[in-house]
Amino acid sequence: MPSFTSEERELLHESLRDYFTSRYPFERFRELSAPEHADGFGREEWSAFAALGWLGVAIPEAQGGSSGGATELAIFMAALGGGLALEPVLPSVVLGASAIQLAGTSEQQALLGEIASGARRLAFCHYEPDSGYARTHVGTVARPEGSGYVLRGEKAFTLHAEAAHSLIVSARLRKADGPLSLFVVPGSAPGMRHHPAPALDGRRGAALSLDGVPVPGDARLGANDDDLSGVVEAVIDRGAIAVCAEAAGAMARVTDQTRDYLKTREQFGQPLSKFQVLQHRLVEMSMASEEARAITHAALAALDAGAADARLKIWRAKVQVARSARFVGGQAIQLHGGMGMTDDLAIGHYYKRLTMCETLFGDGQWYLKQLAAARAG
Amino acid sequence: MFIRVTDADTVLEDFRVEVRAFCERELPPDTRRKRLLRQHIGRDEYGAWLQRLGTRGWLTGRWPKEHGGLGWSPQQFAAFSEELGRAGAPPIYPFGVTMVGPVIYTFGNDEQKRRYLPGIIGHHTWWCQGYSEPEAGSDLASLRTRAVRDGDHYVVNGQKTWTSFAHWADKIFCLVRTDPSVRKQQGISFLLIDMDTPGVTVKPIIGITGGHMLNEVFFEDARVPVDNLIGEEGKGWTYAKFLLGNERVGVADIGVFEGYLQSLRHLLEVTGEGGVPLSEDPEHGRKLAELEVRLETIRALAADQLAAAAQDGSPSLMGAAALKIRGTEYQQAALETIMEVFGRHGMAYQNDAMDPGWNGERIGPEEMPGLVHEHLLRRAATIYGGSTEVQKHIIAKGALGL
Repeated sequence: MPSFTSEERELLHESLRDYFTSRYPFERFRELSAPEHADGFGREEWSAFAALGWLGVAIPEAQGGSSGGATELAIFMAALGGGLALEPVLPSVVLGASAIQLAGTSEQQALLGEIASGARRLAFCHYEPDSGYARTHVGTVARPEGSGYVLRGEKAFTLHAEAAHSLIVSARLRKADGPLSLFVVPGSAPGMRHHPAPALDGRRGAALSLDGVPVPGDARLGANDDDLSGVVEAVIDRGAIAVCAEAAGAMARVTDQTRDYLKTREQFGQPLSKFQVLQHRLVEMSMASEEARAITHAALAALDAGAADARLKIWRAKVQVARSARFVGGQAIQLHGGMGMTDDLAIGHYYKRLTMCETLFGDGQWYLKQLAAARAG
Repeated sequence: MFIRVTDADTVLEDFRVEVRAFCERELPPDTRRKRLLRQHIGRDEYGAWLQRLGTRGWLTGRWPKEHGGLGWSPQQFAAFSEELGRAGAPPIYPFGVTMVGPVIYTFGNDEQKRRYLPGIIGHHTWWCQGYSEPEAGSDLASLRTRAVRDGDHYVVNGQKTWTSFAHWADKIFCLVRTDPSVRKQQGISFLLIDMDTPGVTVKPIIGITGGHMLNEVFFEDARVPVDNLIGEEGKGWTYAKFLLGNERVGVADIGVFEGYLQSLRHLLEVTGEGGVPLSEDPEHGRKLAELEVRLETIRALAADQLAAAAQDGSPSLMGAAALKIRGTEYQQAALETIMEVFGRHGMAYQNDAMDPGWNGERIGPEEMPGLVHEHLLRRAATIYGGSTEVQKHIIAKGALGL
């Protein structure tokens, strides 16, 4: 697996930090996440991410990327979490690009170049209203018609589906128990209805109704009819660990902000940071944040090394990160008191982002159940 | 975040294989069996095993070569401890190897190094630690044991407590007060005392386990040669902090922690509920998975800590403290889960069965007495080596700057 050296990672990390500190302040988040904003994310920022090479960080050099691995993507995701960024990086660069890389034919791999250049944004429309977190429970069906297919089914609320030029849609081929397949579908198409809505944390998304959406034959990823359950699982694993990284970035930032607040806010004639009960709470937050970072790092290393137990490590990381995220997000508000409840402060927005990270691709309880089942099976 | 690149370390892998093979060959099966059942292992049997490790220089592998060590990296030491734990070997006896030894080679004079270090390297000396006192626990610097200079000797009076293995020890390293007139940290000195010095007496403290590991140590006009003073008079607190720093490098007992889960898995298989083994109950599967997640987190924290130590020469303060807190919490949680299984066996606690010579009638699974004992013993894990609350204080002050 190609990977960066630690110096290259350090450079990537520093350029991301500089960018988010100087060019993506909290005010920018507020502006972009306001309901009246046309896109709900920054087109300027999207172009900058592309120009700085970040959208292509994990895309092969042949397609215009820099051939990094999951760890390099995670460094990017952590910066996005720390900056409360609203841009659709996760669905394009992590989910979309992974699906194409893992399942696409050599012609279809060309899409990766468009992802790296920022020209094409993707969304991963896979989960369905009754699938819950189950990873391969797909009711949408793709019936062959002429040289192409017609898609019918319902897709659950999906992050950034509105911002995407193309949607990766999962469907059963031919019939309800046919092989699981993936299709690259235009963002809007005849027979497709969007049900747009804001997500908890101010990002946007949509649920989809596919009521006879025609797609050409080469829209299906891959050269044959093979079942793509394994690919879908791998894509979701990559999404899950990317979200862990995003959460780790957000936790580190919100813990820092909480520490700064405790040191400046005075009550009973002294800074809050002098009260031992609050000191120990902040210590607990720091530890939870560190634990999330450490276990995520371990899972990333396993994934990039192609280790046999990488999947179990990702699942365990998701359990720990979910728990840390809930604790850190909640305690950040608690330690800020009433101020933490205001929309004017970033704290509540971190809480919401962390709640999303906790649940995306499966929450802690769900992964624990999977881990127990994997042991029994 | 996520900067460090981890490469598979083949040199370390070879070393692990070597340790495994050594344990296979050299660890007496009887010692291993007792250890796996957590039965008591006597001083001679334990000492013989430690001496065997000593012949390879492994006890003090982490020491610098100029002091008789092997110059191991923190990673190599961690790998060594892990393999010992997995092999069912008794743990390294720490009081000489990780505690007083480094103090002696760092602050002692040449004569002291000659006199004491070989006994630690080959485990010919059992050391114990004379720190805590009845009035000085977490607030260690308020200790009161007095050492008054009288010619070529110090006359020592006072009491130490919670002294593990004082009843086995040949020597004790003590913090004593040599000057009561200055600020409390400044009047402390670091003194080595032979346990057979007249005026030194040991009194057992029976723990909640029902067993004897802890002691009180009394000093009544014990005359200790001035040659036994380490470094300078009044600098003992500095040496003690150095020692505690070593104690807190934060190498978690991963091998031992894994052992709890192995025990738990086995117990779930041999314990029935409604005629079905508990291992088939999904709720217990989740509890196991939950503990595995916690262990994985600890492993990741430990790996970070070792990498930091290798890179910067010292482990991070925050990392070491966090590892101590989470490691001991995990220990207790794993043992509590094991105790939940023992509820199904009526919570019998045959403490006598810990004695290898016992031939009474056993109740419940074979490993039960040892694990109940371990559960009780490890209630202290969050107290000793700097309590959880002290560790949080260290993080708050040292790492977060509160």
